[in-house]
Amino acid sequence: MEDKCDKLDTCDNCPRRSWLFRMLVGMNLATVASLLYPVLRFLKPRRSTSSGAFQVVAPLRVNQLRPDEEGNWPAPFEFAGKPCILVRTLDGEVKAFNAVCTHTDCTVKFRPQEGDIYCSCHGGVYDINGRNVAGPPPRPLESFKVNLRGKPGQEEIIVSRA
Amino acid sequence: MSHAPEESAVSPARTEGIQKFFHERLGLEVLAGLAAKKLVPIHRSTHFYFLGGMALFLFIVQIISGVLLSLYYKPSPDQAFESVQAFMTEVDFGWLIRSVHSWAANLLIGILFLHLLTAYMMRAYHRPRELTWVSGILLLLLFMAFGFSGYLLPWNQLAFFATRVGTALVGVVPVVGPDLLLLARGGENVTGDTLSRFYALHVAILPLLTLGMLGFHLFMVQQHGMSIPERDLRRYGGRQQIPTMPFVPDFLLRDAVGWYLALGLLAALAALFPWELGEKADPFGSAPEGIKPEWYFLFMFQALKQLPGHILGMEGEMLGTLFFGGVGLVVLVVPFLDRGPRSRHVLNILATAAVLFFIVMTAWGYFDKNSLRLILGASLSLGSLALTIPFTNRGTRSRSVLWLLGTLAFCLLMVGLLWELTL
Repeated sequence: MEDKCDKLDTCDNCPRRSWLFRMLVGMNLATVASLLYPVLRFLKPRRSTSSGAFQVVAPLRVNQLRPDEEGNWPAPFEFAGKPCILVRTLDGEVKAFNAVCTHTDCTVKFRPQEGDIYCSCHGGVYDINGRNVAGPPPRPLESFKVNLRGKPGQEEIIVSRA
Repeated sequence: MSHAPEESAVSPARTEGIQKFFHERLGLEVLAGLAAKKLVPIHRSTHFYFLGGMALFLFIVQIISGVLLSLYYKPSPDQAFESVQAFMTEVDFGWLIRSVHSWAANLLIGILFLHLLTAYMMRAYHRPRELTWVSGILLLLLFMAFGFSGYLLPWNQLAFFATRVGTALVGVVPVVGPDLLLLARGGENVTGDTLSRFYALHVAILPLLTLGMLGFHLFMVQQHGMSIPERDLRRYGGRQQIPTMPFVPDFLLRDAVGWYLALGLLAALAALFPWELGEKADPFGSAPEGIKPEWYFLFMFQALKQLPGHILGMEGEMLGTLFFGGVGLVVLVVPFLDRGPRSRHVLNILATAAVLFFIVMTAWGYFDKNSLRLILGASLSLGSLALTIPFTNRGTRSRSVLWLLGTLAFCLLMVGLLWELTL
């Protein structure tokens, strides 16, 4: 059996050489894999630094839930890493929603004049119960449970997951 | 059963089609032609050709690991140290990626020093390769600047004071010194602004300059082919007679062995000796004891420490800084100073003195114990002497001198080892 080859790519008739060549390719692939493994693991984000809190005391009391001089409703606050928005219905009931729009992750705002929740990014509209009523949002807002505590009129607002 | 031959008949045609597609659109035949024509001469110093490839490989490692580190690093005095600490402890393999980046930086500088030394000994800078040499020296300076700027980024005690000291040296340059100092620090002191500057330098300015300079360097190498030492040209009786091997795949595969060696060394160092983070910088605290720069700045640091406050009415530090600046300039223009056997002789004496100075100062500054200094110095001397073996012939006087010096260095090494082990 003649086993003479000049080039690596004409290995059909040289079993020993083609075996060596395959070993070389395999070894290189193994090296690449062993380099990629720590890199991919490194790319994985570290565990979230925000608390996975089950409930939170809102930074606002019930009597502070009203528009300011310019007609703006109090801004959302953080609840377990997401913005949480508080609204008040006409008959005084306080509701809490995850303020992340279900369309593309913008943060919604409450419009007291219109009595709805509005997303400025793509014009999505939710009613005061968080139901998507107009525009692109596909689902209603996630709603949270609200408990009031303290002196009537200026109760603390405790928001918790349902 | 009848499918098998049909499939194997189709597949080569398809790969040929894909090859043709790309060849037509990318003009690959030009590259293929270049690769086929590129030959590497085989002689006694051929091994030194691998150093450039190893440096290139380590530079690629630096780009990849650096980009990875930048995903978690936050360049601000309040967050830099904490962000490094956080990804070293909380992110999978964060400690390893940082360790690889630090170790590869040191290996890269070491290999570049060897590349420089061997290129000098092979006289690879002579006509028409002067600009290859100049761009190589500029690349070495760029990589030292990489090391210096990267050192500050973790914002630890060592980094902070190393940067204070290093930038202060810029300040003693006559006339423009104070302005250069302001430019380097982004203010009178090392502050968050310095950190931002060094970050921009390290991740944007230096990489762009380096890629450009590296492209030029490699283009020059491609343009002129490999330089062959004169003694080997004489031995074979001319460039045409010297045996060669094709770059693709013969030399490239050998190159790959060099990369594997570098990778193995790097992985072992990074995993067994993880790079430490130290303590967070305290801009108003005192410098910690035993503070010293990275080993490749150590020879300057150690030499400047020996200078008295004033020499001949000039500040000692100013004189020292100017001296090293001058040496750098001489190294940069070596191809234009080598104008015949006499000037070459002077250059060789200067180069030997420079290497000896580097070894002595580094060994002196690195350890506090004399025995360890002796061991390091003797080992480095043995290493440098070994590099010169391909340039001397058996039975000549220069080879005898080499043996003599080698024996001397070996004896010193043994003395150092005995001293260290017995006392």
